[in-house]
Amino acid sequence: MTYAALTLPLVLLVVAMLLALVRVARGPTIYDRIMAFDALVVCAAGVVALLSLAWHTTVFLELILIVSSLGFFSTVAFAYYLDRARPPASVRRRRQRQPSRT
Amino acid sequence: MNDSLATWLTTALAIGGAAVILLSLIGFLRMPDVYCRSHALGVGSTCGFTLLMLALWGDLGTEAAGFKVIAAIAFQLLTIPVSSHLLALQARRNRLPAFGEPGFEKQAEKDSH
Repeated sequence: MTYAALTLPLVLLVVAMLLALVRVARGPTIYDRIMAFDALVVCAAGVVALLSLAWHTTVFLELILIVSSLGFFSTVAFAYYLDRARPPASVRRRRQRQPSRT
Repeated sequence: MNDSLATWLTTALAIGGAAVILLSLIGFLRMPDVYCRSHALGVGSTCGFTLLMLALWGDLGTEAAGFKVIAAIAFQLLTIPVSSHLLALQARRNRLPAFGEPGFEKQAEKDSH
C-alpha cells in the first residue's frame, strides 16, 4: 500500500477529529463532551489502523485494541461518576420543578 | 492481477471507512439534541471503524493478523453502542429535553450562551 492512496482517508479522519474537538469545545452538556471524546478515541484508533496499513506491520494491532478499550472504559467511568455524583445546578433546579419519573 | 485487485479493495475500504466516520461526525456536530447526537455517533463510527479494520485485514492477511483484527472489530461492535446507550440513558435520567419536547427551546437558548 502506497502512502499516496492513504492520504485521502488520513485527511478525512483528521477533519473528523477536528469536528469532534469543535463539539468538545461547544457541546452544551457534559454528555456531548464525553461522546465527543469517545469519537476522538475511535478516530485515533482509525488513524493507527491507517498507519499500520501504510507501514505493512502487525505490531500496532495491540495498540488499536488498547486504545479502543481505554476509550470505552473511560466513558463507562464517566457515566458511573455522573450517576453517583451530585447533579449540576441546572439539573437540580429542573428536578425540583418536576417530580421524579422513575 | 490478484495483487492489484487486493490493493484496490483495501484502498476502497479504507476511504469508505474514513468517509463514514467523517459523515457520522458531521451528523454529531449538526444534530439538535443529545439523543440524536448519540444515535448519529453510535451508528456511524461503528460502521466506519469496522470498514477500516476490514481494510487492515485485507492488507495484512489472515495468518498474520486474523484473530486480533476480529477481536478489535468485535470489541468495537460491542462497546460503541453500549457507551452511546449509557450516555443517552444518563441524559434521560437527568431529564434533558429531546428535540420537539416541551422545554427544548428554553434549554437550547440557555445552553447557547
